[in-house]
Parts: sequence; structure tokens; C-alpha cells
Amino acid sequence: MYLKVKLPWNVIIPAENLDQKGLILQRSIIIRLLDDFTCRKATKDLGYYLAVSSLERIGEGKVRQYSGDVLFPVVFNGVTFKLFRGEILEGVVHKVLKHGVFLRCGPVENVYLSHLKMPDYKYVPGENPVFMNDKLSKIGKDVSVRFIVIGTKWLEADREFQVLVSLEGDFLGPVS
Amino acid sequence: MSGEEEENAAELKIGDEFLKAKCLMNCEVSFILEHKYEQLRHMSEDPLNQVSQVFEKSLQYVKRFSRYKNPDAVRQVREILSRYQLTEFELCVLGNLCPETVEEAIAMVPSMKTKGRGLDEEAIEKMLNDLSLIKTFE
Repeated sequence: MYLKVKLPWNVIIPAENLDQKGLILQRSIIIRLLDDFTCRKATKDLGYYLAVSSLERIGEGKVRQYSGDVLFPVVFNGVTFKLFRGEILEGVVHKVLKHGVFLRCGPVENVYLSHLKMPDYKYVPGENPVFMNDKLSKIGKDVSVRFIVIGTKWLEADREFQVLVSLEGDFLGPVS
Repeated sequence: MSGEEEENAAELKIGDEFLKAKCLMNCEVSFILEHKYEQLRHMSEDPLNQVSQVFEKSLQYVKRFSRYKNPDAVRQVREILSRYQLTEFELCVLGNLCPETVEEAIAMVPSMKTKGRGLDEEAIEKMLNDLSLIKTFE
């Protein structure tokens, strides 16, 4: 689910970028914030960081004692993407393996659907391998699939989520 | 997680902060990101280079999975769904997946059937009808 969040943040402006002119300072704060935001990529609580939509306020700057850099507390609105257990979503298959498929869903690449979680589908090997059921419905590369999230795991080192999904449930499966 | 209830979106157990948080439908995110991308295009010659992977992948995704392409339709969808005392989360799941039958809608958002919600099948049916009208007139 995409979420609209309001976030506090500390922006640090190096001493050499400080300027008497307020407008230029504001500009550096925004540029710095956008950079930091992009670098953060994701957090366990809020999910993936997509975009800053508006700046709510810039607080009073505080000079840091040793470096002379100035720290500005800011509050802004942004958009994030987080997957919840039990949520139903759609994604696109990008890799088909013997034991299951990987899907893309929003900014997440590691959404795994194991063959154990789609029991009526059988692996069909070939140049373009697919999973197919008795009704000839196919799950192959670039197919959109509707699934339910059964587990998520936050990987701190990669700042990334791993997601397990399933087709066990009504109205789940490939969508046209 | 000890002592905490396990997360389960089907029963709306997603944490209070998220229940109250504003959720966005794919089509709404699509407008926000496209607008951002346009702004960048005016400022730099190679806008794709300016955005993060997270941004780029999300933009591709919401473009593919937006059910409504016109801003007025998107506004109306939110307006219609808000008449039914849905939480933000439920509203967006329905707006994203566009179920066609009452049965499908309940399968997508099982929490609608919780007791005391006042959402009977008739109300859900009416909601889906109103939504399909927007799609026809888009």
C-alpha cells in the first residue's frame, strides 16, 4: 500500500554551503533533504521512500560545536510504499524458476511465490518456462498476478524487504 | 513482537498509526509521481538519471496498475468510497483492485464483513455499481 506520511528529519548543511541570503539557504536545505531521502531508500517501519511531496516547515538551525555545520530540523510530507501481511496486491512476474516465481510489486523486486503456495499450478519447462493449471491459466514472465502477502522480512544490511506471497484464496491468480 | 498481535491486513491489524495514516490508490500515486517527473524534466535534460530506483520502479508499477486515468475520475472514486465508512486502507484496496462482484469485494477486503460494520451485501453491491459507472464514463 502506498502511504502518505509526515516525517521529521534533520538536515545538516556544511559550513561552506551557508550563505547570508535566505533563499539560497532554503534551496540547499531542500536539495540536501531530497538527497538524504533518496539515499535512505527504505526503513523497516514505513517501507520504501518514494518522493517528497511538500515541505511543511524548517526549524531553527543549530550550530554543531566541532564542525561548524548547521543542523536544521525539518518536517515534510512524503509518499512511501509498505507491504502488510494479509494484504492483497497485484504484481508482475520477472523470473520463473522450477520452485516458484519472483514478482515485482511497486519498488519491491523480491516478491516470491513458491510452487507450494500455488498447488494447482504445475511447472512447464521450456525456453519460456511457465506455471500452468488445469484450466490452462498461465503464470509466466510479464504476467500480472493477484496475490496475498503471507510474510515480510526486513533486511537491514540491504535496506530491502523480502516478501512471501501466496495464491491460496478466492479470486487470486493471473489477471488480464 | 512478543505481546503484540500479529499483523494481518485482512482483519485490519496493521498498527494504529497505519490505520489512521492516509493511504493512496495506485492512480493517485501515479499523478504525484508523474508530476514530480515532469518537474524534473524541466530542470534537467536527463530526468531518469535524477530519480531513484525506488521512484522509477514505482512509477512503472502504478502506470501499469492504475484503473483510472483521468484526475476527475480518481477524485470521484475516492468520494464514492468515502460514503461507506471504510478505513483508508480498505478504500485503497478496493480502488486498486476494482472487484466486480460482492463476493470478490469481500474476498479482497474481508474486514468489511466484520460484525457491526453496517455494510451488508446490498450496500456493497451499490458501491460497486457506482464505481463501475465511473469507469464507463471515463
